[in-house]
Amino acid sequence: MVDIFHRLGIAVDFVPDQTCCGQPNFNAGLRTEARAIAQHTIRVFEKTTGDIVMPSGSCAHMIKHNYPELFADDPAWLARAQDLGKRVFEFTEYLVDYLGIIDVGAQWNGTLTYHPSCHISRGMHIDRQPRALLANVRGARIVDLPHAEECCGFGGIFSIEHPELSAEWLKRKVSNLEMSGAPTLVVAEAGCLMHLAGGLHRQKKQQRVIHIAEVLANRGGKQ
Amino acid sequence: MTNPFRAHIRQSLANEALQIALDANAERRVHGRIAAFASLPDWKDRRNQAHAIRADVIEHLDRYLETFIFNARNNGITVHRAKDAAEAINIFTNIIRARHDAPVLIAKSKSMVSEELDLNRALESKGIRVVETDLGEYIVQLRGEKPAHIITPAVHLRRQEVGQLFHEKLSEPYTEDIPTLVNAARRVLREVFLTADIGVSGVNFGIADTGGICIVTNEGNGRMVTTLPPVHIALMGMERLVRNFDDLAIMLSLLPRSATGQKLSVYTQIIHQPLDGQQRHILLLDNGRTRLRSSPLKESLYCIRCGSCLNACPVFREIGGHAYVGKNGALSPYSGPIGSVISAGLFGSNFIPLAQASSLCGACKDACPVDIDLPKLLTRVRAGQSPLSTSPSSPHGLSTLSTIFLRIYGRVATHPKLFAISQRFAALGTRLVSPFSAMVRLPAFTGWGYSKDLPRFASKPFRAQFHRREVKTARKLEKIIRKTVESIPETPISNSRTEQFITELTAVGGHLTRTSANELTEKVIELLKSRDVNHIHLEPNVLDENALQQAGITVSHASNPATRVGVTKALCGVADTGSVLEADGEGGKIHASLLPELHIAVLHKSDILPSLIDALPLTRQKKSTVVITGPSRTGDIEMSLTIGVHGPSEVHVFLVDDSNSQ
Repeated sequence: MVDIFHRLGIAVDFVPDQTCCGQPNFNAGLRTEARAIAQHTIRVFEKTTGDIVMPSGSCAHMIKHNYPELFADDPAWLARAQDLGKRVFEFTEYLVDYLGIIDVGAQWNGTLTYHPSCHISRGMHIDRQPRALLANVRGARIVDLPHAEECCGFGGIFSIEHPELSAEWLKRKVSNLEMSGAPTLVVAEAGCLMHLAGGLHRQKKQQRVIHIAEVLANRGGKQ
Repeated sequence: MTNPFRAHIRQSLANEALQIALDANAERRVHGRIAAFASLPDWKDRRNQAHAIRADVIEHLDRYLETFIFNARNNGITVHRAKDAAEAINIFTNIIRARHDAPVLIAKSKSMVSEELDLNRALESKGIRVVETDLGEYIVQLRGEKPAHIITPAVHLRRQEVGQLFHEKLSEPYTEDIPTLVNAARRVLREVFLTADIGVSGVNFGIADTGGICIVTNEGNGRMVTTLPPVHIALMGMERLVRNFDDLAIMLSLLPRSATGQKLSVYTQIIHQPLDGQQRHILLLDNGRTRLRSSPLKESLYCIRCGSCLNACPVFREIGGHAYVGKNGALSPYSGPIGSVISAGLFGSNFIPLAQASSLCGACKDACPVDIDLPKLLTRVRAGQSPLSTSPSSPHGLSTLSTIFLRIYGRVATHPKLFAISQRFAALGTRLVSPFSAMVRLPAFTGWGYSKDLPRFASKPFRAQFHRREVKTARKLEKIIRKTVESIPETPISNSRTEQFITELTAVGGHLTRTSANELTEKVIELLKSRDVNHIHLEPNVLDENALQQAGITVSHASNPATRVGVTKALCGVADTGSVLEADGEGGKIHASLLPELHIAVLHKSDILPSLIDALPLTRQKKSTVVITGPSRTGDIEMSLTIGVHGPSEVHVFLVDDSNSQ
């Protein structure tokens, strides 16, 4: 992501004090902890200026949609959370909607298919953006992933609390990936990435899963 | 500590027949819904309107309830209110005892509220026989089970199991032929309808402005139990109100599409008064709804019980409705995403762990016709915000291990240095465990290791790789106005209302004959002769009775269960759904469209109205009305569409062109 922004002439900073947005705790229902993490995140980013771009859609979703829920009865923090939310973008949304770029000059020789992560597609209605970016990658053939809209089974603590359910969905996602014929599955979400990578490895599959930034940053046409 | 919910999940996953049934349900219902909404170009607006309607009703529920009760009582309906199940059962018993000392037979159509009350068991313990008459409900009742889905109670069963059940319980020859099974149930239940002392139904919507109730069914059992027995008791959750007919029209454009993929269900009843000689009651149940309403889960009361969130939910698809059990092993009547939200609030903190069984994927919110933010509500249940969330041991429904882990994580994530060090330790840890592979194989008990490996954490995390290098001056970039590509499905609008009516009627399996007024009786006789029918139940003043007599067809103006054909004049037609509106009136005409196997509706071309919203006001002055959309049908066994259940198996509209008299 940093490489892509540099290539586009955009300055990038990384605030070392940042940790986590608090989504794991929020989703699990541990709101006291989630609030503490959220306050830390707000404080850290308040010291910065500029847009905040996240390579993981559910984190952006957390800040934009769940921080207001967390601070619903705390007007002071609510205002700070909303101010931060306005500066937050999911990576592909930022490229396409904000910068108006659908071609980042990437090349990828091979077939790709895209898994629309739940928090990105349904949570933030971001779907045409990553697809537009992929469609403009030179050399890449983009194929449809059957039942793409189905959850991959990660869901944070859900995958640990309910491993049996998580396993079923993972199985289905992997078999849909096989059906697509693509050797490479592209996601824009760290959670799905970790989950699917672990699942493909456990099932000893040849296919692999990569982050969309990795495709977009590639210029040499590797696959 | 064993968790009964997880045990049920494992059982469901291991049950191959159940898996096939649930997969079929998910696929058929989701496709059906999407196809049905394609014919409603403005569905997004309607969904927003529906949300606003429900929000307003729930916000001012007390006021609307007062209006509704006042109007219903003025209409001659007895209205009762029950705080909880015990009160409701008492009210029931009093109604029954007031009329009967002898054994009582209750014919019951579907009501989820009755499942909350465990009504059947309560009444049976008092010696009262209750027969479920919705095919799916009847099947699960025979099996001694609870419904597995709000809309499709026998969703978990396959035809072989139903065949075996009917063989054992009804002494029917074993068959896997679904129409034969449906017919067997029709025969048995017809007797129940005709002899029942009391009919019990649910309610889809109460209409505050008019005091009417709306009941939506496909098989015709809802019509039977509200029409035939001398007493009708309608069970209604107190939140199920709309303000007026306009609201109702919006809801009815969304509910059947979401529930079964139909533009309109076969029978949409709008009932305002008791029929002649009939006693009608409405029982409004609270049972925790007031509690929910003043909690952060208030939005869950917007639900109209269409079941589409169940069909869309990947969890429900794996486990089915019978797996939604609380920590005490009790089954919640409400499953799926909405069940996981409301069960804890209505029935106790036992059910909080249900809310943890979701990846918050949001498929339910997308499917909801009233746009309830179910993922948000699930996180609120997890946060201990449901009204009965008093259990101190596990307010979140989370396992102890996960709770401890997340609490520690919460500490670490608020301290950047600690967080950075932990990342290094985690990386080192995974590297030690798995020195030769980028993946770590964790044991199954960790949850993660059950089905996947864990990618090794980066030994040099991004924060260590990123040097706050001198930033180049950002190039000015033109911001391009975002282009929203919203694909709106196109629907061909028929050029004429009549054509549209005919198209839609035919699409739902209805038949049509066009005729002039002069030739009407002659054409009806032709049809009757072709079916060897020589006796009909006829609404007065619809056909030329002399001509019928000359043709050797006798006529009755009263209902008789043995009569094969009923002829009525429709109050109006509805073009965009191919429906006809029928009402009670002289000569038992409401029965004529219900009991016979063939219903002939005479409809004048000038009486075809564009849409349901135009027809609803006509229901106001009648005691009981029904919008009929095709022949009665069911999909309760394997969702295989079967025509002809309790209502007529054939609907034939004679469309009278009164614009000229040739």
